[in-house]
Amino acid sequence: MNISRRGFLALSGAVCGSLILGNEVEAREGKYATLIDLTKCDGCKDEPIPRCVKACRDYNKDRFPQPQKPIQPYWPRKTYEDWSEKRDKIDTLTPYNWIFVQKVDIDGQEIFIPRRCMHCDNPPCVRECPFGALTKQPEGNSVINDKICFGGAKCRDVCPWHIPQRQAGVGIYLKILPKYAGGGVMYKCDLCKDRIKQGQEPACVIACRERLGNHAVFTFGDRKTIYELAYRRAKEEGLYIYGDNQNGGTSTLYLSKVPFEKIDSALKQNKERFQMPVNVENKIESKFNPIGKLVLVSGFLSMAGAVIGAIFSKKSNKEETDEK
Amino acid sequence: MKNKIKRHSIIELIEHWSIALSGIVLLFTGLGCLPLYKRYYITEIPGFAWTADFYYVTTVHYVASAVFVAAVVFHIFYHGLRKDFALLPKKGDLSQSIKVLAAMIGIGKEPPSDKYLPEQRIAYVGIGLVILILTVTGIIKVLKNLEWLILSPEIESINTLIHTLTGFLFMIALIIHVGTVVLFKSNWPLLKSMFTGWIDEDYVKHRHSIWYEKIKMH
Repeated sequence: MNISRRGFLALSGAVCGSLILGNEVEAREGKYATLIDLTKCDGCKDEPIPRCVKACRDYNKDRFPQPQKPIQPYWPRKTYEDWSEKRDKIDTLTPYNWIFVQKVDIDGQEIFIPRRCMHCDNPPCVRECPFGALTKQPEGNSVINDKICFGGAKCRDVCPWHIPQRQAGVGIYLKILPKYAGGGVMYKCDLCKDRIKQGQEPACVIACRERLGNHAVFTFGDRKTIYELAYRRAKEEGLYIYGDNQNGGTSTLYLSKVPFEKIDSALKQNKERFQMPVNVENKIESKFNPIGKLVLVSGFLSMAGAVIGAIFSKKSNKEETDEK
Repeated sequence: MKNKIKRHSIIELIEHWSIALSGIVLLFTGLGCLPLYKRYYITEIPGFAWTADFYYVTTVHYVASAVFVAAVVFHIFYHGLRKDFALLPKKGDLSQSIKVLAAMIGIGKEPPSDKYLPEQRIAYVGIGLVILILTVTGIIKVLKNLEWLILSPEIESINTLIHTLTGFLFMIALIIHVGTVVLFKSNWPLLKSMFTGWIDEDYVKHRHSIWYEKIKMH
């Protein structure tokens, strides 16, 4: 193999350059955001099932898991996660229920909180999925690809709100390592990905507006407009905001008359599965990225060291022999 | 005392062991990232409770990758510029490798070798390619987490998948590499030289006769 020193450096430079400059550039935050106004939500008390929950279930029913039975336990464990017998459960998140309305009492006042994926700006679920099954879409939503999800449930562990839910007995793991690795497929809200790609609103947003008109709980739209609306209303009406700072920012904002510290404290007291921690650090940004910079610096320093070392070292044509 | 011949410089020893040791840490934490350890009770082994937390596991993975990346980059540039290409495959290495491997299990006679055995040169390219893919995809992952490189969802997904799947090839390559060294007695002096840098002249004379001739010519 013959390569000149100049040629070698040119090739190396080209490789490094193509790494740094991406071809396809997308906006980080995404186009859209949702405002969920808790001052307006009554949990659809007069309805058999909250409208947002029903709309989500109806719209996504064809994508719900259809597990093959009997389901094998996750060897060597004796357990597996199966919600297929509880498909009708609407008071929590399941692989068959991607939004629910959480109820909490604070100082004698009932508060209803529609809960679903927050669609973080820098989502740990997306960044940490080892199979690339989760992606952050240009619209701002985080989406699980059920074709390549192995069901390891890591996304649920790294999510500050533990949103994705697992169903065993479905997915690619059944074809690859059904006994020894994988556990099903993870499911969560994807903000009606196909609808928002076409510029339409998610099903939950439309359903809520059909019931409450101008007083709808959900407002979906251009991210900047939604953020401005939330901040303006918070200032004018003395409301509290949740979702703008949590985990480094999200595409979902909540507005409430009650401070979110109080809401979270009540949820914790009730030992709810889904809580609303106020201080949510984005660990990718705070923990990994500083070390990531160190990795890059170490690469550049060692490249410089190698070039200097190679230039100053005389390639010895004679092999050294020594008598020991 | 036997005569010794220098086989590896101190730089080569540092390169080899920094890639090997950081590579083992990366493999261990990489498997932990999958996730496998909670399921297989690894998190319950005393001293391994930290492996239950993906943020700790990934932090250790990142720290080890600083060493790994530095060593890989150094290796490419240092030896590339010095034109140290003795480990790159030559014509006929494949058929020669089969003869070497057959001789290791007692079939036929081993052909004369240069400084490196033909199967070592082929293995070097194989494992080198795997390491290169892991390094490049890993750096892309770091850059996209830093948001210095913004990828389309599809490219980000494919990059992640390649990194994970190549990790398995790295594990297989490492097992074969260590296995061939440890299981075959004829390779033990090579292992010794990977620690000391020196190898017995008699061993070179018999196993690396082409290299030996070159040394004697100078």
